[in-house]
Amino acid sequence: MFLEARDIVKAFGAFKAVDGAELDVNEGEIVGLIGPNGAGKSTFFNCLSGDAEPTDGTIHFLGRDVTALSPEAHARLGMARTFQVPVTFEDMTVVQNVMVGAFLRHPHRIGAMRKAEEILEFTGLAHLAGSPAKSLGTPGRKRLEIARALATEPRLLLLDEALAGLTPGEVRLAIELVRRIKGLGITIVIVEHIMEVILSLAERAVVFHQGKVIASGAPRAVVDDPAVVAAYLGHHMKRVRM
Amino acid sequence: MKHWPLAVIGFLFIAAWPLMVQDVFLQRVGALVLLAAISASAWNLLGGYAGQVSVGHAVYFGAGAYASLVVYTELGWPPIAGAPIGVLVSMGISALVGTPTFRLRGHYFSMATIAAAELFRILAANWPLLGAAVGLMGPPVPRGFWDLSFLSPVPYHYLFLGVLIVLLALIWQMQRSRMGFYLAAIRGGDRAARSLGVPVLRYKLYALLLSAGFTSLAGSLYAVMVGFIDPDSALGIVISVKLLIIAALGGAGTLFGPLIGAMILIPLEETTNAMFGGGGTGITFIIYGAIILLVARFQPGGVAAFWDKLTTRRVRHVP
Repeated sequence: MFLEARDIVKAFGAFKAVDGAELDVNEGEIVGLIGPNGAGKSTFFNCLSGDAEPTDGTIHFLGRDVTALSPEAHARLGMARTFQVPVTFEDMTVVQNVMVGAFLRHPHRIGAMRKAEEILEFTGLAHLAGSPAKSLGTPGRKRLEIARALATEPRLLLLDEALAGLTPGEVRLAIELVRRIKGLGITIVIVEHIMEVILSLAERAVVFHQGKVIASGAPRAVVDDPAVVAAYLGHHMKRVRM
Repeated sequence: MKHWPLAVIGFLFIAAWPLMVQDVFLQRVGALVLLAAISASAWNLLGGYAGQVSVGHAVYFGAGAYASLVVYTELGWPPIAGAPIGVLVSMGISALVGTPTFRLRGHYFSMATIAAAELFRILAANWPLLGAAVGLMGPPVPRGFWDLSFLSPVPYHYLFLGVLIVLLALIWQMQRSRMGFYLAAIRGGDRAARSLGVPVLRYKLYALLLSAGFTSLAGSLYAVMVGFIDPDSALGIVISVKLLIIAALGGAGTLFGPLIGAMILIPLEETTNAMFGGGGTGITFIIYGAIILLVARFQPGGVAAFWDKLTTRRVRHVP
């Protein structure tokens, strides 16, 4: 199995943000994690990337137990991520931001620069290479984060709401970018609450509710699942609507 | 870098300074500017490039200063021979202090560095080997060339200039290499840096080791030139604050920032000291306070950023 998370629990005091969640990801697919706010998606996601160590459970990536490894070790093994709120390096230019990622596999300046330029071309940021990162707006920052992550040459890319806060037009562009990333043979796990994105991108959707996975399967089928509808709308809501 | 022509003119001016002015006071100020620039550039490696604001660098400065004079008082060696020992001791202390404190963030890190530095100052003030509260003296009369004891400040000026040029060349190389990018990433945010595979703790430690080593060298050079140190002049918190202010004033995290800061602050300080005598030290603190206020409020990037803004006003990036 490419990525395998078993019985993941993440507790903050007595509260279990993630409570026995499971996830299997095959190489080359796009998996969408969805669920209402506070369902534990982001916490689970942080466990996958090494930003948070699960209280219980194990995570295997490429056959290795990565449960307790640091985020930088995850990056070295080929896992890259973006953040819900973009954290670009503000003092640096766009190309320098991407070079930080590229230095992971290219220790020399020239190699890292070439890699960064190639990635900027791929992500459509080449014309902004010399601009300061702080001059970018939200769509630019989100794209820059993806570019920076790609520069580490990952095999698995974890996107945390990479499309949230974008206009419909920008969402379309971002979807197209994610498809092209998949075309490179990179596996993608994406956390998203925009249903349209999951429906058009993911091959499989996994639904979180109260820290547990309540449904998993083809996005269309999952969305129509009564348990999922109840999780999103609540039981009372259903009664009102009838 | 677009400022190279300016930098070359600046260095020619600095190199010619002791020949242009015949006054010993002014020559001495020149040498002190260079020494301050060396110390602040060393601080800048950690505080500027890696963004880890240390207010405890007096420890490393003091280690260098004390090592120089201890090898003289205990072994009769020329003080400069203590410099490598000071560097090693500083690196040892920095590994000891850095490993636990780097897990702290922001103000907590700065506060921990102050505490560590004060600990060493009190230790030195009570240790007879280090001269306790009285301090240590260098050779009263030069016994040979290697005592590097000169009446005129001019030889020191060129010695310090040489060290500064080597240090700045090293930092320039570092800045362009993977280490420079990784330190800038750490300054930008630990979490994002780690997600890109930057071993944050390790690189903070590298920066600290280098920074401590060069600060110690500056301390040794100070002891060699001045020939007398005590716990306050070599290990006092004023030194830590001074390094920080010089770098922040000129531009923390820039190559020439510390030198610019030193060229502004040291003449100011020496002039007030000369004008007001012993009471002048009070004025120095007022100047420090005013600079912290002005830089923090109006131009956190220091003079370097201000200059950049002046020269690139017309260029605007439209994303």
